[in-house]
Amino acid sequence: MREGRGLFGHLLPYLYAAAFIVVVWQLVVTLTKPHVSLLPPPYLVAQGFYELVASGKLFVHAGVSLGRVFSAWFLSMLIAVPLGLAMGRSRLIERLADPLIELLRPISPLAWIPLAILWFGIGESGKIFIVFIGTFFPTLLATVAGVKGIEPHLIHAGQVFGCKSQFSLFRRIVLPAALPSIITGLRISFGTGWAAIIAAELVAARSGLGYLIANGMEILRADQVLVGMIAIGILGVAFDAGLRYVGRRLTWEGAA
Amino acid sequence: MSEPHNSSQPGKSITVNGVSKIYQSRGGGEVEACRRIDLEIEAGEFVAIVGPSGCGKSTLLYMMAGFSAPTSGRILCGGVPVSGPDIERSMVFQNYALFPWLNVRGNVEFGLENKGVPRDVRTEKVDRHLKLVGLSEFADKHISELSGGMKQRVAIARAFAVEPGVILMDEPFGALDALTRRFLQRELLRIWREQACTVAFVTHSVPESIFLADRIVVMSARPGELKSMIDVDLPHPRDSTSDGFRDLERRIYADLDEELAKTFSAEGLLG
Ligand SMILES: Nc1ncnc2c1ncn2[C@@H]1O[C@H](COP(=O)(O)OP(=O)(O)O)[C@@H](O)[C@H]1O
Ligand SMILES: [Mg+2]
Repeated sequence: MREGRGLFGHLLPYLYAAAFIVVVWQLVVTLTKPHVSLLPPPYLVAQGFYELVASGKLFVHAGVSLGRVFSAWFLSMLIAVPLGLAMGRSRLIERLADPLIELLRPISPLAWIPLAILWFGIGESGKIFIVFIGTFFPTLLATVAGVKGIEPHLIHAGQVFGCKSQFSLFRRIVLPAALPSIITGLRISFGTGWAAIIAAELVAARSGLGYLIANGMEILRADQVLVGMIAIGILGVAFDAGLRYVGRRLTWEGAA
Repeated sequence: MSEPHNSSQPGKSITVNGVSKIYQSRGGGEVEACRRIDLEIEAGEFVAIVGPSGCGKSTLLYMMAGFSAPTSGRILCGGVPVSGPDIERSMVFQNYALFPWLNVRGNVEFGLENKGVPRDVRTEKVDRHLKLVGLSEFADKHISELSGGMKQRVAIARAFAVEPGVILMDEPFGALDALTRRFLQRELLRIWREQACTVAFVTHSVPESIFLADRIVVMSARPGELKSMIDVDLPHPRDSTSDGFRDLERRIYADLDEELAKTFSAEGLLG
């Protein structure tokens, strides 16, 4: 059992990191005096941040990005988890699926962006597709590893104590035993999905944090670019911590 | 007061009939783990199986459980061929194999749920078996909070709670310290007497087999064959310092020494 450090205790390392970045940033600005459209000083960006928050624009863009990530992440979970369970348990299914997966996996989700634009235009489906690619493999691999790592005697015990069908064995033994690993996989894939959606929005979108950044570049507003980047960082950290917390509550092992 | 327990199911017999098991190893070679074993375990009997390590004791027990089929020969339980794992043959594993995502109660209840036992009966049975192993106060604990000895008591409660015809035990006390082991041996006998079922108990400890069993099966070095069969007629509780106990020990060690000599000379360590 981990000792509760309180919200402030958890936030402290991040506040320290943020302070460090701000100091270095200010130093660079003071020493090199870059043009304000290239690297504005921290206070100007803070002002821009406040304006985007006050106008509600930041929330709209963040909400759009999060919505895309969550729907694609959920969709990929619906396919990756059952497929991973099946691959982990069946040699035949693993032999059929594994070469295909190994071949597709090294292709970064970003490399799919051009095809996604050709196929889906710049609508929502293309973005969902990119994030799906980015979240599918981490979830799948973690699920397969979780199932394969199940202690064989747990399966034996399940069979001896009355799990007669494959379905009941899956429901009562395989799924709960692999759950810590699956949840870790979902957390990691949320991170890759978050990175992928920003990239997709940079290239082809009219909304979302990625678009906010790309737009800032076009109108030569480095402060808007930086505000977008800061929002991406904060949301990424917050959701990772949230998923970590949910994972600990949900599983028996306190998934790391 | 312990409730009058219904012993209408006096356990099931196990018949092992000319059973051999040959594993195909990865390199294409074959490992003969058991060879032509004939063994009749009567209903309600407590049989211990001892033998040098690697002689096929676990293999034999796992075939009785139904995890793998004999290469030749057949195994019957209560006169019916064993075709797969079944809740009528429950098991206690050396490494406990408890379900870490369930608490103590959940583990003991697991088999009863699968058997479709109604909730109130289930609760009563779980409570009774937790009391039998002295863990009533620990029903809501998590498995990770228990010591090794307590874990094995949960595993024993889980195995007995489903009121099986046969309980198969694969070196259940092998990982425990000597004192815990001694304590659990007594508890096991007490529970077994209360709930007459058949027990097949694999161990590599000769004193443990004499302390517990009605009959001891000594297996030869691999490929495991039946080496000898020894009845233990000593009254319970058995005193390991008594003459009768010592005589049996001597006999079984003599048999085992012969087999160990074979194993080591096969490995080129002796003459
Ligand atoms: N699944 C398996 N595949 C191949 N060989 C096995 C397998 N299980 C056991 N063996 C081999 O069979 C022999 C008997 O093993 P086992 O039954 O575990 O012996 P014991 O329980 O008496 O120590 C050993 O040589 C072991 O290496
Ligand atoms: Mg063994």
